[in-house]
Amino acid sequence: MNKETIRTGSQKGLLFGIVMIFLVLINFHIMAATMISKVLGTNVLRGAFPEVRFMIIFLVIFGMWAGWSAVRREGSTTNKLFEGLIGGMTTGLVVALFGLILFFLLETQTDVRRYLTALSFASIDIFLLGLRGMGILTLFGLFTLTGVLGGALAVGLRSQAVANFIKKIKTSIRNLRQRITDSLPDNVKKYGKYIFYLLLLVLLLLLPARWGSYNNFVFGMVGIYVILGIGLNIMLGLSGQFMIGIAALFAMGAYSVALLNSPFPHGLMWGFWPSLAVGVVMAVIGGLLLGLPIMRLRGDYLGIVTLGFGEIIRILLNSDLLTDLTGGPRGIQNIQQPTFLGMPFNDVSYAYLIIIAMAVSIFLYYRIENSRTGRAWLSIKEDALVSQATGVDVQKYKLLALCVGAAFAGLAGGIFAARNQFTGPNDHTLMVSINVLSVVIVGGINSIPGIILGSFALRGLPELLRELETYRLLVFGALLVFMMIVRPEGLWPASRPDLEEKGNTGLKEDLDPEENEGRSDD
Amino acid sequence: MTEIIIEAVKVSKYFGGLKAVNEVDLQIPKGSIYSIIGPNGAGKTTLFNCISGFYIPETGDILYYGTPIQGMPTNFIASQGISRTYQNVRLFGNLTAMENVLIGLHNKLRSNWLDAIMHSPRFTRENSWSMEEAVSLLDFVGLKGYGDFLASNLPYGMQRRLEIARALANKPRLLLLDEPTAGMNIQETTDLTHFIQRLRDELEISIILIEHDMKVVMGISDRITVLDYGTKIAEGSPDEIQSNPRVIEAYLGPGGAALAEKYRSQRRKNNA
Amino acid sequence: MDANQSSPPKLTRRNYSKIIRPIFGILVLGYILWRLYLVLIVEQAYSAEVWVRLLISGLIIGGVYALIAIGYTLVYGILFMINFAHGEVMMIGTFAGYFLFEITKGINVAGAGNPPLSFSDAYPFLSVILAFLVGMTVSATAGYFLEKIAYRPLRGAPRLIPLISAIGASFFLQNAAQLLFSPQVRDYANPQAIARGSGWNLMINESRIVITYTGVLTFVLSILLMIGLYVMVQKTKLGKAMRAVASDKKTAALMGIDVDAIISRTFIISGALAGAAGVMWGLHNGLVHFYVGFLPGIKAFTAAVLGGIGNIPGAMLGGMFLGLVESLGPTALGISFQLKDVIAFLIMIVILVFRPSGLLGEVLSEEKV
Repeated sequence: MNKETIRTGSQKGLLFGIVMIFLVLINFHIMAATMISKVLGTNVLRGAFPEVRFMIIFLVIFGMWAGWSAVRREGSTTNKLFEGLIGGMTTGLVVALFGLILFFLLETQTDVRRYLTALSFASIDIFLLGLRGMGILTLFGLFTLTGVLGGALAVGLRSQAVANFIKKIKTSIRNLRQRITDSLPDNVKKYGKYIFYLLLLVLLLLLPARWGSYNNFVFGMVGIYVILGIGLNIMLGLSGQFMIGIAALFAMGAYSVALLNSPFPHGLMWGFWPSLAVGVVMAVIGGLLLGLPIMRLRGDYLGIVTLGFGEIIRILLNSDLLTDLTGGPRGIQNIQQPTFLGMPFNDVSYAYLIIIAMAVSIFLYYRIENSRTGRAWLSIKEDALVSQATGVDVQKYKLLALCVGAAFAGLAGGIFAARNQFTGPNDHTLMVSINVLSVVIVGGINSIPGIILGSFALRGLPELLRELETYRLLVFGALLVFMMIVRPEGLWPASRPDLEEKGNTGLKEDLDPEENEGRSDD
Repeated sequence: MTEIIIEAVKVSKYFGGLKAVNEVDLQIPKGSIYSIIGPNGAGKTTLFNCISGFYIPETGDILYYGTPIQGMPTNFIASQGISRTYQNVRLFGNLTAMENVLIGLHNKLRSNWLDAIMHSPRFTRENSWSMEEAVSLLDFVGLKGYGDFLASNLPYGMQRRLEIARALANKPRLLLLDEPTAGMNIQETTDLTHFIQRLRDELEISIILIEHDMKVVMGISDRITVLDYGTKIAEGSPDEIQSNPRVIEAYLGPGGAALAEKYRSQRRKNNA
Repeated sequence: MDANQSSPPKLTRRNYSKIIRPIFGILVLGYILWRLYLVLIVEQAYSAEVWVRLLISGLIIGGVYALIAIGYTLVYGILFMINFAHGEVMMIGTFAGYFLFEITKGINVAGAGNPPLSFSDAYPFLSVILAFLVGMTVSATAGYFLEKIAYRPLRGAPRLIPLISAIGASFFLQNAAQLLFSPQVRDYANPQAIARGSGWNLMINESRIVITYTGVLTFVLSILLMIGLYVMVQKTKLGKAMRAVASDKKTAALMGIDVDAIISRTFIISGALAGAAGVMWGLHNGLVHFYVGFLPGIKAFTAAVLGGIGNIPGAMLGGMFLGLVESLGPTALGISFQLKDVIAFLIMIVILVFRPSGLLGEVLSEEKV
């Protein structure tokens, strides 16, 4: 045991102790115990508290985690165990001190909920394991014990033997996979990709009809964010323009569909399909109007201007000035539902519509990315000055990127408004722009699978984890930070395509386009 | 007298009070290799930036085939057949070598984003042509097989050559090379020297070269201009420049001429 | 590879980008002048005291914006990142001040038999100083840990990565405050002596204008803090080190400056300023809730960009300017007060279109090679 041991142990212990206090102050321990209780098969009624034994399980897990992370990578086994012990003890000490205060509050019946809203007597009581004064000592003992346990676990699992074992398992899995691929006939291997896509298609066709309207709603939202993410990626990922105001372009699509399809305020009933087209066009015009004056701006200046643009649009929609035109703060209700071949839309048809729109967006994205236009965008992102000196009309291509991206945003907005049968200023806040930005970056910039994954992770999961209700934004924030530290390149980073083979045809024909075709204005 | 491809007439560029380039005259004959030399900070790169459109000169004209081009956007100047490389290699680092060359081909292609979406005949034709062209350019600069490497992952010498390939993709009439041999070893430098000569001989490209390696400069230049503190102090063939006292002074300081003469006579003696 | 054709090229060019900016500028300027003409000369709807009142409120809010904006600018100058969670750091400061006032309100200092007198009413000066100290300390601590946990591991990553991390931290802090203190909007318990709305009376054209104590406190204190900061950055050793790190981290490290420590201190200073701004915000506007930092944060960032981000006097100027535009703009242009943010953002866009690096920002040569 040396100084370093004590230092690491107590530092980690202190950190975990503080985290524990924070969790108790926001009532997270109750939620965790309830979840554990549910997982173990004891349902907890809404509003009721879980049993104490589940609270103990939560505390044990937490204490072991504290002990685990207090153990450093180097040092002897005894040292490591000591680190676990000190970590657990420090955590226990901090928590026990906190418990003492809680006990005092409980004894004097001091209600602090006016300030710390989660700290009810029942919550305190269950945290002290129902033992009141004895609970403090129990907590200290519990954390000390579990700290050692966690330390021992860390020593065990990080040992050479375990590492070898894991390695062995990994190799055998790889061998198995190899054997399976080898045994497959060549045809299957060749068409494996297509079979996968076919299965995916069947799944996409079957699922929406089967899994209920709630899932359709949640995954519809995921799909809409995928389209938005593709739009933003064209601006941000391909052409390198820092856009934070995509919600404004989203709003243009949504409001076009809403205003042209609702009884109030204008009573226009154009039908969904033409107004969706109008929405896309409006968004493109919006992108153009935004882009024209600000072409010279770069980096964060561009970011703040687009942010300002988004806010301007939202505030205008919210203001009295445009109430007659756009319905004001109350938004636009009763948007007419689209029909397809005379059949009205329900949640399943919307799911299909979104899937189709998503597929089309992805298709368009890939086609444009792997073209002269896409490469021009990428070069602008890399180095605008050199790009221009290489012959790219930087301003034109930047504008084009804004417009194409805006078209996707408008498309997403139009579908979004029709599906909700409502749209209002609150659907188009800064948070929408920030969410889309997070989707693209967490998923992986310039990577379509990444954007899809990001949408699932950031839009789908929080909706599905309803258990976490009150905590989901908190967890979301913490996860964003964690993601950026652990995996900054995104969930599914992009890679550049291999092109050299395509040029290696060996047939060097005279294909000079300039000679074969007259110049056209593009 | 051969045709003049580009001409600078009393070009000046100031930064604040500093006259980076001061009333410089240049005449580059078509099909020549023309070097600009001078001590650090003499205004060589600034002159390059004026020609390629990065800077707008305060006074004077840049005439390209007799037409003024100063103040035109850089992409326009590039589209007229003036390509350049940079002192510190400036590739699109996160793109592959192929993509870098393909971006260089930008001006030679016409297909737009609608073509790309619909895979129109024009797109398909241009796509296969540009791929082949890019591969043959990579081959020309000796980077065959490295096409799918990220540009930033290539070794330094290859990056230099990739930059030249990108510049060549534009099918330039005039190529500006800014210290192409910087950071290269002797073998690489020799290769590059031959390569530059090939560019002129095989592709009939006129070349302006900024270079510090006097062996390269004296070996391949048809004519040389010497800049010092933004002004032109000498112009002539390599032999004329070598014996010009002002040039030697600019490089070695006052009294340098005598020093150089002493050194030269010593060498002559040794040789004899 | 084809040989070049020898014919000289035809020189034609299109340049539409240069036309658009002047058109845009003339349109905007024309609109502003026309509205000003209508409001100030044709209608003459407002008398002098309205303008004075708006001017005062603009200066006060501008001071607060400037303080927060300095935090953005300091961090940006050194790390080139937008500290999106800075508004939340201010919110934490506001809450710290709130709790301090709640505590001092709860202490009865009157002797037995006297009517109850709380500590904050008996010693308003002391409790305000305490509140500022506590607010600044807590916010500075928050800033320190924010940097240590969310930003330090990302040193050297591409620029969007720390931004997303900052957005995450902002979400986390906001929701942590909401879960801890509940979403309700609370009243700030000012000491009696500087109750909101009380102040000196000023007569203009026989109508009364109240110059509130809280307003004067806010304005004076923000100016003092700004001067203090400026002196610190210009004169002290720490300020010199900060400027060195801002201009070149690598060289600064080679000169023996502990870059990480300087960055930490930058966050502490910007956190302290945000904390002071937070307490001012609470005292002057009287409300505190978990969302209180968001809008001032966005506005102050706008102000920092407006002044030229990375430039400290720029942030001060930008903050004041934004406060004044927000306050005077709607009335001067005869537009509904609801649209004050629209005017603020529009003015910012117009300024950036013509000065792409902000009012005092270094004008980066576009042709810089």
